Amino acid sequence: MRKPWRPAQRWNWWVHNPAYRRYLLREATALPLFVYTLVLVSGLYRYTQGQLAFTRWLEAMQAPGWLAFHALAVAASVLHAVTWIELVPKLLVVPGISGLTIKRGHQVAALIGSAVVLGAALASWPLGGGGS
Amino acid sequence: MSDSIALYVARYRPGEDDAPTEQRYDVPLSADLSVLEALNYIKDELDPTLAYRWSCRMAICGSCGVMIDGEPRLGCKTFLREFAERGELHVRALDHFPVERDLIVDLEGFMDHLEAVKPWMFHEAERPVAEGEYRQTPAELERYQQFSQCINCGLCYAACPQFGRDDSFLGPAALTLALRYNLDSRDEGSHERMPLLNADEGAWRCTFVGYCSEVCPKDVDPAAAVNRGKVASTINYGLNLLRLAGGKRDA
Repeated sequence: MRKPWRPAQRWNWWVHNPAYRRYLLREATALPLFVYTLVLVSGLYRYTQGQLAFTRWLEAMQAPGWLAFHALAVAASVLHAVTWIELVPKLLVVPGISGLTIKRGHQVAALIGSAVVLGAALASWPLGGGGS
Repeated sequence: MSDSIALYVARYRPGEDDAPTEQRYDVPLSADLSVLEALNYIKDELDPTLAYRWSCRMAICGSCGVMIDGEPRLGCKTFLREFAERGELHVRALDHFPVERDLIVDLEGFMDHLEAVKPWMFHEAERPVAEGEYRQTPAELERYQQFSQCINCGLCYAACPQFGRDDSFLGPAALTLALRYNLDSRDEGSHERMPLLNADEGAWRCTFVGYCSEVCPKDVDPAAAVNRGKVASTINYGLNLLRLAGGKRDA
């Protein structure tokens, strides 16, 4: 008599295996980045309300809790970028170019891209004074 | 090194049990004894009722896949010496498959997935034998060779949480097999396989956990294959849009 045993996947399927934990940590980086976009949009909204509103928002952002959150968002962003670029050679296969070269190329491009965006943001800082 | 090691094997006897329970067996420990050989020892010397699959003993047939301390591994390629210090190891049937008895799982659905991707050569027109064989350059061989090393052991399915959540997902080995044929210069059947790669059960169900590639005993790297399938699917989608815009039929 056949009576196959088949358990349903439990909510904690990822807890006991380090490979699954690493995977979920990578996916979880989306959460701080999602909250960060909301924070950024709220800042833009304050900016539309005038300089005083924006300055108050900036001051509020200097509270230790918000600074810690921004540090977390930066860490999540870096982890996301590093793990994502790590996987690129599996997807992008170019005859004659090694996977390592493709990975290094993406890392350099990510660093240059980040530096350009940061430079542009500081140069066009709305309150003047180059990021003060 | 102690002279014996404890194997806790998940037993499931469908006539008696509602769920698997672990049974302890003490096996003589030697540095060159594999987990498969330990199971053979149990079967021969301790408990003839233990059920498990095996055949070649050399990581070719893909029959002896089991969960060893929670990891999908081949019994023949895993040695007891790895667990000697702890003095015990836990063996159960492969995750994500229905367990029929003890360490034996039902692989019927897995085989159906393999067959679904049409893993054979398609030719628009058969060449007469007189014209000779279909020839390939080493570079053409290299494009798919890694993906043709799969031994259908099922470890990648036991490693895949997406397959564990919903077994309609074609899964790592089947999608790798599809890519293996799509990349073969002798094949002209990728249009037969693309609808499956594009389907809900196809490549896009994969979330790139990547554990399938870690556990693969033949270094096939199914995660790379599945995600290259996504690239192929995206290109296919774009070409199809152009085809539709040009007034041709949806392919």
